Amino acid sequence: MIASVEAKPRARTSALPRTSDDPVELFARWQQHGDTAARAALVQRFMPLARSLARRYDRSSEPYEDLMQVASLGLLKALDRFDPDRGPSFASFAIPTILGEMRRYFRDSGWSLHVPRGDKERALKVRDAQETFANEHGHAPTVSQLSQYLELDPETVIDALLAIQAYESLSLDAPRPGGEDDAITYGDTVGDEDGRYELIELDATIVGVLDRLPQREREILRMRFVEELTQTQIASRVGVSQMQVSRLLRRSLDQLRSLTQDEEQAG
Amino acid sequence: MARLPNVRLDLSNRPENVLLVRETLTGLAEAVGLDAGELSDVRTAAAEACNNVVLHAYSGEEGPLEVEIDVGEGCLRLVVRDRGVGMAQDVLSSANGENGIGLPVIAALAHRVDFGETAGGGSEIRMEFETPSVRELAPAPGEGFELAPFAEIGNAGTATVSVAPAPLARAIVPRLLAVLAARAHFSTDRISDTQLLGDAIVAHAAEALSGSHLGLTVAVEPRALEVSVGPLIPGRAAGLIRQAELDELGLLLQKLADRHELVSAGSHEMLKLHLLDQR
Repeated sequence: MIASVEAKPRARTSALPRTSDDPVELFARWQQHGDTAARAALVQRFMPLARSLARRYDRSSEPYEDLMQVASLGLLKALDRFDPDRGPSFASFAIPTILGEMRRYFRDSGWSLHVPRGDKERALKVRDAQETFANEHGHAPTVSQLSQYLELDPETVIDALLAIQAYESLSLDAPRPGGEDDAITYGDTVGDEDGRYELIELDATIVGVLDRLPQREREILRMRFVEELTQTQIASRVGVSQMQVSRLLRRSLDQLRSLTQDEEQAG
Repeated sequence: MARLPNVRLDLSNRPENVLLVRETLTGLAEAVGLDAGELSDVRTAAAEACNNVVLHAYSGEEGPLEVEIDVGEGCLRLVVRDRGVGMAQDVLSSANGENGIGLPVIAALAHRVDFGETAGGGSEIRMEFETPSVRELAPAPGEGFELAPFAEIGNAGTATVSVAPAPLARAIVPRLLAVLAARAHFSTDRISDTQLLGDAIVAHAAEALSGSHLGLTVAVEPRALEVSVGPLIPGRAAGLIRQAELDELGLLLQKLADRHELVSAGSHEMLKLHLLDQR
């Protein structure tokens, strides 16, 4: 017996009866006779399909292992339900079954209603790494530097950077210890002659509108566009992250635009 | 004239451009209220179709990858097109290896899938997704629908997006600019500045546009982005610059971009903005 196994080195599933690896027969043995060895052979054969689907399905925030688990469950269901006599190939039956299982799982778990925790944690990690890097090097990192530092692929870092702005609930607004919030005065923000000139122009065109923004937003706008500081420099002055400066700039420019529009419409 | 899609992307079939398609869909989901589950389905199917163009459409060469997205009543329509050898269906559905997974995945996720041929012998995959919560988003009427007539379309190093109406542009344009800024090795500071620039363009370009769609063509170089905005009505582009010297947006545009210029493009004008990261 040993000799015959060795004589067929390609029969890697030596624990299984080597009667056939024909899927049709394996399906018959499993579905009609409950032969678990046949099922194991089918699982082994089609697991790459499940793995491929778990990898492809766009759920970057979920751990791959979780996706794999749900995909495997879908594969088992497909093995039970596939009718070799009627359907086309097993793969074309299994793919929708497995994907259906994954979609149902995530919908039932309320996934689509919440920002996944993994996303938030990653966003915070990217934010912290950004600050650490900026403190150490005196300038902001690139995405590839962040991706090396965090051992995440660049696309994930970009996703996190873009997502950070959407997370209002992350307490990103809270000033950091050591911030210089109180130290900022009007005088600090006026730079050289050019800066002063532009400040006047800025004030002249949106007079009254800028003043309606909170003090901190006003200061950050002045630092960026009058003093022309980088966002990282502003972040260390104000004591928030650069991501937060970015978000405050976007939001306050947005508010300025709609206030200006309202003014114009009012006459 | 047939209705133009809300979004059109003209890219090359480089693997990294699939991310631009994904991010466009993410931005679109924000704007039209697509839920995370629906978005995942659409992004997965789109990625399958795009990867097919990346891997198989040009037999190892580089060529155009065109994506159109249209927001209908309770549905999203997506077209992924190549100008290549026209074998999308064969490759996607072939039974050997991982190639054979593409079509069943798309078929499982999309409500409807059709295949077609493009004029030059390329192929297109048309997908329709049922998204009950989504309302139709018609581009603004008037002016005539015209996609940005960019000479650079198909140029390997550039990416072009044309988008309407404004709320969709608002969600998509800054996002795409951020991805391209990251690709140009900008620091996170400058990536954010690029988003601010995108916000400003979307907020103020409407009156200068010569068609319904805001078009941006972006060329990526190391530490440099060249963003062409248009097509703009001749004269209006200059007006935009003049206006830019008067109000606070002007200060923003000048400060966010390192320089700008006006370029004549046929019967239109383009505003070219150059951004650098000089750290």
